[in-house]
Amino acid sequence: MAPVLEITDLRTEIRLRTSTVHAVDGVSLTVQAGETVGLVGESGCGKTTIGLSAIRLLPPGGHITGGSIKINGTEIVGLPDARMRQIRGGDVGMIFQDPMTSLNPTMPIGEQIAETVRVHKRVSHRAAVDRAVEVLDLVGMPRPRERLGDFPHQLSGGLRQRVMIAMALACEPSVLIADEPTTAVDVTIQAQILGLLDRLKSELSTAMLLISHDMGVIAGRADRVAVMYAGRVVEQAETVEFFDHIRHPYAEALLASIPQPGQDSQRALYSIPGNPPDLSNPPAACRFAPRCRYATDRCRTEDPRLEQDAAAHGYACFHPVPADDVRPEAAGLRLAAQARLRETRRTDADDLILDARNLVKEYPITAGLLQRTIGSVKAVSDVSFGIRRGETFGLVGESGCGKTTIGRLLVGLERLTGGQIVFNGADISALATRSRPAHGGGPDDPAQAGSRRRQISRLRRDLQLMFQDPYSSLDPRMRVGTILREPLVIQGIGSRREQDQRVAAMLTEVGLQPAAADRYPHEFSGGQRQRIGLARALMLDPKFLIADEPVSALDVSIRSQILNLMRDLQDRHNLTYLIISHDLAVVRYMADRIGVVYLGKLVESGPADTVYSTPAHPYTAALISAIPSPDPHSERGRNRTQVRGELPSAVNPPSGCRFRTRCAIAEEICAEVEPPVHSFGVDHYASCHFPLQRPVPPAGTDGALVRTQQDPIADRPPASGRLVPDTTGDAVAGQ
Amino acid sequence: MTGFLIRRILQAIIVVIGVTIIAFILQNLIATGPALAHTIIGPRATSQQIHEFIATYGLNQPMPVQYWHFLWQLLHGNLGYSFKENQSVDAILGQQLPKDVVLVGSSLVLSLLIAIPLGIAQAVRRNRLVDHVGTGLSFLLYSMPTYWLSLLLIAAFSVSLQWLPAEAPQGTNVGQILADPAGLVLPIASLTLVNYALFSRYMRSSAIENLAQDYIRTARAKGLSERYLLARHLLRNSLIPVTTMVGLSLPGILTAGLVTEYVFNFPGIGLTFFNAAVTSDYPVELGIAVLVGLVTVAGNVLADIGYAVLDPRVRYE
Repeated sequence: MAPVLEITDLRTEIRLRTSTVHAVDGVSLTVQAGETVGLVGESGCGKTTIGLSAIRLLPPGGHITGGSIKINGTEIVGLPDARMRQIRGGDVGMIFQDPMTSLNPTMPIGEQIAETVRVHKRVSHRAAVDRAVEVLDLVGMPRPRERLGDFPHQLSGGLRQRVMIAMALACEPSVLIADEPTTAVDVTIQAQILGLLDRLKSELSTAMLLISHDMGVIAGRADRVAVMYAGRVVEQAETVEFFDHIRHPYAEALLASIPQPGQDSQRALYSIPGNPPDLSNPPAACRFAPRCRYATDRCRTEDPRLEQDAAAHGYACFHPVPADDVRPEAAGLRLAAQARLRETRRTDADDLILDARNLVKEYPITAGLLQRTIGSVKAVSDVSFGIRRGETFGLVGESGCGKTTIGRLLVGLERLTGGQIVFNGADISALATRSRPAHGGGPDDPAQAGSRRRQISRLRRDLQLMFQDPYSSLDPRMRVGTILREPLVIQGIGSRREQDQRVAAMLTEVGLQPAAADRYPHEFSGGQRQRIGLARALMLDPKFLIADEPVSALDVSIRSQILNLMRDLQDRHNLTYLIISHDLAVVRYMADRIGVVYLGKLVESGPADTVYSTPAHPYTAALISAIPSPDPHSERGRNRTQVRGELPSAVNPPSGCRFRTRCAIAEEICAEVEPPVHSFGVDHYASCHFPLQRPVPPAGTDGALVRTQQDPIADRPPASGRLVPDTTGDAVAGQ
Repeated sequence: MTGFLIRRILQAIIVVIGVTIIAFILQNLIATGPALAHTIIGPRATSQQIHEFIATYGLNQPMPVQYWHFLWQLLHGNLGYSFKENQSVDAILGQQLPKDVVLVGSSLVLSLLIAIPLGIAQAVRRNRLVDHVGTGLSFLLYSMPTYWLSLLLIAAFSVSLQWLPAEAPQGTNVGQILADPAGLVLPIASLTLVNYALFSRYMRSSAIENLAQDYIRTARAKGLSERYLLARHLLRNSLIPVTTMVGLSLPGILTAGLVTEYVFNFPGIGLTFFNAAVTSDYPVELGIAVLVGLVTVAGNVLADIGYAVLDPRVRYE
């Protein structure tokens, strides 16, 4: 059978003002009907350029300079524009990454789907609209006819991506190109969307090119895998064969740098040294050689070709990884074996560096002439947790669950609506609370308030924040030295000379040259910028660091460098971390204890490994099950407990248990009564009426104390959501 | 929507009060009482005439009282009585305003009709010949003072080529103005060119920004033709920022009209304002100040409405 999409020796260049980037350099790929080929690689490797070449929609300056692309046997390189337009949207459907920006914001979705049909099928407006309803139904849009007039902003992220897919499918294309189709959506939605794509591919026997940076997504959904590095395919094989017998050192290293479910969190992650080559002047030798641990002189002078071995497993390498290893974690273990073992940190359960008590944050919604408050967005609703000195606490949850707001509350970037934050034994919520005297009543004496403010400002030195996006969080017009010196200048610490010395020392610590101080942020790569961000957060020698999505903006191989660095620095400076992330794998690897946040509520907390291996809350279980793991055996055999639907509005959160609208095992009581906190072992708590395991009294306590600890929780009015029983407070007072 | 309108009306009231207070103070700084009466009636005015003039217009009262009187009358739709013209200000404005609607309105429409397609064409063919010519033209026109542009047009089309008259049609109502279309060409052209220069720059940058958006790439990936794509996807999105700008520039266009009307002797609000300023006809000046204030607010409201029409994400409460 002839392949539906056949790419042979494709060369695509992007001509810039001063140089020409050889983005794709001799790539051959085929996709058969009903087959999914996964194209995987890091940003800049050319995978997106291949997708765009196949529909000839390259960015300005982009040209196909050689090779051939055949779709259903038609050569599209050099095809006249009018014919090419028939192929786009007709023979080839394209699904782009971000459904928010990829849909026209001012056109109803029905219209956006129907126009594709009208252009290609020459049917009446009515017939085109009917077809739009049909495909919307196919992609699982509820009540599709009623949604035709909706604009993209009225839909949730998951529904928007479904519209995107419906649009691509409207004319029954024989090839579907999905470029990072789930990178912009949450992990529970990702599982739904990938399941949908899988179903559609087999129902319609479409050929699918799935482009992704995520090995886990590829492992679960692709029939064959092609790994790209620096504009070339370096390894290509059937999926199970690929993951079982990885041959190319880059693919091996890439896999080893992802924190995996079975990862020993005591070990450092493998990280690939250096950066990918400059594609405007690619080396004439193996492109991975400078970063490869197996490289020899031959690799530095000769260019390996993509060889096919007997099992149709191709790899471009002179010194492939021995084929006898099986299972992806083998690669991780083998590479990590060289890495330094980390010591287990010991933390004292009673020594809390930060105690967040009943945090509440509501944003008022105002309306009308007088801006009356008509409601509020309940971003954080009664969340309590304690963080022990020297540990790493991870907060996980989907976007919009309130985890970032919690972080901002802790550092004082947002004012508390209610609750208390105790840091290092001192109440620091005074500045963070709106018009509420900290202790007792009565108007504050201004002088006293001023001195308290200074005192809090000193305390805040010990509590620093590290940001997500290394591109936008550094002032592009300031030199790195000035950026790093700024915290010292503001706090008035040291002379200019001392400040400069501290900057140089800090840059060395995060793995940069002291000379970096004289350069501007844009001169650094993403990973280097994140190092600068980390250095800035550590300038004041804080005791506590809040890292909000510290690695989500970075490529996989760079991620592990930053995560390892963070662990190193933690050991060296005895830091306490709060890591906030949507990425459960990263949090599990980094954190000692995890808190799971759902719609402003902390639903489960406990030791990282315990929560991960034996979750008590159905939401946690579903969240874990939705993470794609780079192991085709477990990915395919897995019976997913999918979370239905999407995150409800935080303006009117569901009554009782907030998760009940999406929970598979919810019953009537879940809507009526807010679930109490149950204990499931040491430090492990969850609030659920029907937990996935039997609650146990906290270990190491005698019966009487257990009673007194349990009762206040069970008897508490439903509004309370405190997950860590307070042994010093009302429990004792109750006796 | 009701709340939005109420807010806008309150805003209009505040603007008008602010504008008139400033105008009142400035006028009183220039001349009051007998001095003013002398300027109006002339150097040979008798003390009897001056006394009568002051009494008629209430100029002997303290300024706040005069202002209060003015506001009270304004509330009843009465803008006062001209010092010079022997007409009420309402009558003068009622006579002149329609002619300005013709001048300003047609040049506004024309300049948008030229600027929108040209701006899109420049964006699509960015850094090519069309774009360079368009950019050069709009910079040239934008940097040129309005009166200078008007004079150049007269020199070229009236003096050298003798195709068109240098003077605008004279007449007291719109019908008489429209009866002489040839005379309208140069004043409308000069205002159109000035507006075009500004609008096309905005349109170009807005279209360039939108062309780089992902949704345009999606539309191309659907196999739509380039022309359909520009008309159905790019145009509406690119117009959103331009609408705001057009609404906000409405009072500016009216002021640009002042110079144009003077150069072409167009009998409209601008020329009336100019003459009133020269002859110290304070009531007329005040009336026009109120009018410009209202146009400013109206421009804002129109911009907001246009914005909401074009962008479904915007809703006013």
